[in-house]
This record gives sequence, structure tokens and C-alpha cells, in this order.
Amino acid sequence: MLKSKIKRLVTIGSASVFLVCGAAKAELASLSDNELSSVDGAGIGMVFEDFVFNAVTDSSNGQSFKISGIKSTSGEDVDITVSQLYIANAGSNYGETLNPVNLGRLVNPYEIELLDGNDIGLDDKAILQFAAPKKVAAGTGYDCVSASAAEGSGSCSSRPTGIDAASGEVIIGERPDIGLKLQVQVGTNASDNLSVNAKSAVFDGSYLRLWGDDNKNQLVGEYRLNFYTPELSISSCDSAGQSCGNTIYMKNFELELVLGNQFQPMSIGVTEAQNGTIEPGNFVFEIASIKDYADQKGYMANLPSNGLRTGCNGDSSCESAWDFFNGYYTNPEFKSNLSIGAMHIGDISGSGQNFGSSKIEGMTIQYLKMSSHDL
Amino acid sequence: MLNHVNLIKNTLLLSLLSFSVAAELSSINDEEMSVISGQAGVYLSGEITLNENGGPIQNAYFGDCTDSKRCGARLAFQTKQDGGWFVLDDMKGSFSFQGLTLRVRDINSGFGGDGANFNRQVLEIGLPDQIKVDKFQYTYATSTTARPSDAGFQQTDIYTVEIDGDITMQGNLLVFPTGDN
Repeated sequence: MLKSKIKRLVTIGSASVFLVCGAAKAELASLSDNELSSVDGAGIGMVFEDFVFNAVTDSSNGQSFKISGIKSTSGEDVDITVSQLYIANAGSNYGETLNPVNLGRLVNPYEIELLDGNDIGLDDKAILQFAAPKKVAAGTGYDCVSASAAEGSGSCSSRPTGIDAASGEVIIGERPDIGLKLQVQVGTNASDNLSVNAKSAVFDGSYLRLWGDDNKNQLVGEYRLNFYTPELSISSCDSAGQSCGNTIYMKNFELELVLGNQFQPMSIGVTEAQNGTIEPGNFVFEIASIKDYADQKGYMANLPSNGLRTGCNGDSSCESAWDFFNGYYTNPEFKSNLSIGAMHIGDISGSGQNFGSSKIEGMTIQYLKMSSHDL
Repeated sequence: MLNHVNLIKNTLLLSLLSFSVAAELSSINDEEMSVISGQAGVYLSGEITLNENGGPIQNAYFGDCTDSKRCGARLAFQTKQDGGWFVLDDMKGSFSFQGLTLRVRDINSGFGGDGANFNRQVLEIGLPDQIKVDKFQYTYATSTTARPSDAGFQQTDIYTVEIDGDITMQGNLLVFPTGDN
């Protein structure tokens, strides 16, 4: 039925094209149903091919990248010079060797798309989504963390550098090294260098969804950041880049951060005081309370007193309230996880120390409000 | 079948309509057309300068870049009705680039095996390798009102970014429609 409908639409469309540019009709090749079926205009895919980004501060070449205007708690100016900000292929040796990398795959690209809210639990809303490559079924993709992952080892779509087994073609790799090196000077004190580098980074499954909230009259959203890297390192040195302290290496770093969901949208705005006068200069970041949503839906008033579903004694509104909270607390989509395979301080092949692994799993944000204040 | 009949009717109608100008147009046959591909794309070089000598508004807040007033462009946006404003203020400076290319590219191989599976056309935006930035800056701020001339205007500048010199941006950006099949 749908196919015949599409076919009719296509025919009408083709006829219109012929009417407009009838003279050139011999040069137009008709699209088959098969070709058209792969295009529904739902979104725009983007792949960066052979991509390198590098912004540096190098006074001998007249290059500078500075962030200013920030004050310390004692009122001194904090000047930040971005010594280097880079995105390049894995194996960059902390930004020394910048080789091209692909970001996104043609078959699973970065996307800007419009979603039907009814499909994701947001009734009658149009959702604007910015998404990194999507995850695939476990065992059909690549391990998200390992820089030498083989096909079938995990659920990430982005591939490390290698050879595609099926086609024998070289895989440039879709996992970039990303680094940021800052020189921070507070007042007239000697400046310090801070360097953060992530090797072979993967963002698969990350997205930002935005929509309008009718009750708050506000732009709200849902943000999921998946960030996997075999090594995230943080180091600091003096202004000459010498006498560096020990580098902190976080090996096999996996972050799955969830900010907001369809019940608790997150919002970012500029603060307003109770009297309605807006206090300038302060932003507020909020993740709505799950209790607000449950109150609105009448779930809070109908929960069983003993907390058990059997305590509802067959009352349907009580059972749906219990089911809602059970679903909310068990859905892995609403939980944030952080896992560090091993934390090394310094080079453990030398005199460094291995502090072992650490994990925070299943963290649910029930309510969060952060706002800035003038000191 | 009926659709095809309609199509032929439409084409005939078009031929009738354009009959009177047919004498002035010389037709190009398929063979001649095939020589012209027109797919080499577009090569762009350019410079974008923002408020080098101030903007069109000069008042107590905005100047002409020769005094202590702000002379850059201002972009204010609000995420909540009747809320405060996020502001990108005092945006000025210039970007220049050479060799930004635009073309349609048929991809049916490469990309580590993805090209053959993809087998479609994309819009390729060739990045210019180097972007020359000449004293580009902006200030991120929050403000009570969209415009500095509005009543009750108060603003807090949060930070200022200044970029000067060359930035490396190599590669191609491939853009194409997606959708769930």
C-alpha cells in the first residue's frame, strides 16, 4: 500500500519535472523504487573524509588563540592561551604527527535529523537531533575502547585503522586523537601548561535532542555523551614545557553520560530572580525533577504504601504508577556510567604507580540544578 | 499505464507551448550533451570581514573601532520566553580562504569497504587546508535585554576568544540525505 502510494507520488513528481524542463528529458535518468526507497529526507548525513584540524599559538608564525576576560576568585585576570587544539588520526603522538582521519562512516554518519516525538516518548513534538554514528547490535561492530578492535568484537560502528576483511580495502580509521594544550596565567604569576589528550576517541551513540517545552515556554533537550578512549591523559608543566609533573593516564576510559530524558528534559537559560527581574551574568542548567513528571501524571498519589506491586491489589492506576517507576529505575538508557580500566600516575614502566580500576555505574539523576553566581 | 499516458500528454502540451520559439533554439543531441559533464564543481576563494570599521549603528554602546566603545557585531538569543539572553558580542575580524571546492561525487568504492555498500552520490565540500584568520574575536556574555539600548540593560561578559593566524582544516566534508529504510 505504502509502496504504491510512494510510486504514485514519484510519478506525479516526475511528471512535474518533465513539465518544467521537458526539453532536457532525454538526459534525465529515472530513479527506481529501490533507489528512492533509500531516501526519505529524514535527515542529513555528514562524513569528514581525510580530516585534520589544528589550531595553535606560535608567535613566530603570527598565530595566536587566546581566551581572556575570566577572573580568579581574588579578582586577578586569568589569561588562557590555547597552545594547540587538534583532531587527527590515531597515532598522532599527542598532536606531534597529524595524519588524516575519517569522522563518521558513509553507512553510519554523523547526522542532523528531525525525529517524530511520538516514536521516542515525546508526544506531538518535533525533535531536532544532532547524532554521532549510532551503535550497532553487540557482536556486529567493533569494541568501543580497544584501538586494535576487530570486527565482531563490540557494538561501536567507528573502526580503528586496519584492513577491511570483506573487501581487502584499507580502513583509514574513524577514531581520532583529540587534544587540547592550554597555557594558563593567573595575574602576574608564572604560567602553567595543562595538556589533555585522548587517543583513538569514539563517540558512537552520542546525541543531542532539542525541542520546545509548552509548559516552561523554553528550549529543552536531552544529551547523551558516549566517550570511549584507550587512553585519556592529563599533564601539567611549567611555562617552558619543562619540569612536568607526573602525567595522569586513564587507561580504557569509558564515559556514558546521560543528561535529561523524555520525562526530565534538561534546560539551559539565563537566571531570573523571584520578582521577575532577570539577574544578568548567571546561567542556570537544570535537569527537571522526576517527581514533577510523576506528580503531573498522578503517579505519586497512587503508589502502593508497601512499595510492592502486589500492594496495589489489582488497582490499575496504582499498578501503572508502580510500573512507571520500575521502568524508570531499571531502564539502562537513563543511567550514566563511568569506567576507568586502570589509573596510572606517571609512566608505570618507570617509577609510576598503578592505582587499578574504578567504576561508577547506574547513576540516575533525579533532579539537578546548577547556577552561577557573582562573587 | 494511465500515468504514462498523462506523461506523454504533458510532454506534448509542452511541445505545443514552446513551438513558437523553436526556430531560435538549436537543439543539442545526446551525443553532444555527453561531452559536457558540468560536474567539475565549484572552486571558491573568499574573505569574510566582520565589522572591521564598526557596524552601521553608532551610539553610546557601539563605536567605529577607533574609540573605547564596542564596534563588533552582536548576536543575542533567548532559550526561554521572557528569560535572559545569551550574547555573542563584539564579534569582529576576518577569515580568508583559498580553495574551498563544491562538487557532486559518486562514491562506489573505498572507505574501507563502505564505498561499495554506499554506492550513491554525495555533495563534497573540499575544505581549504588553511584558513587565514585575521584578529577574529568574540565575547560570550549573558544579558538582561537583547539590545544595549533597551531599558534595564545589564550585561556580564563571561569570556573573550581571540584567534589570529592560520588554522589547519584539511579534508572533505561529504553531505548526503539519510533516512531509515
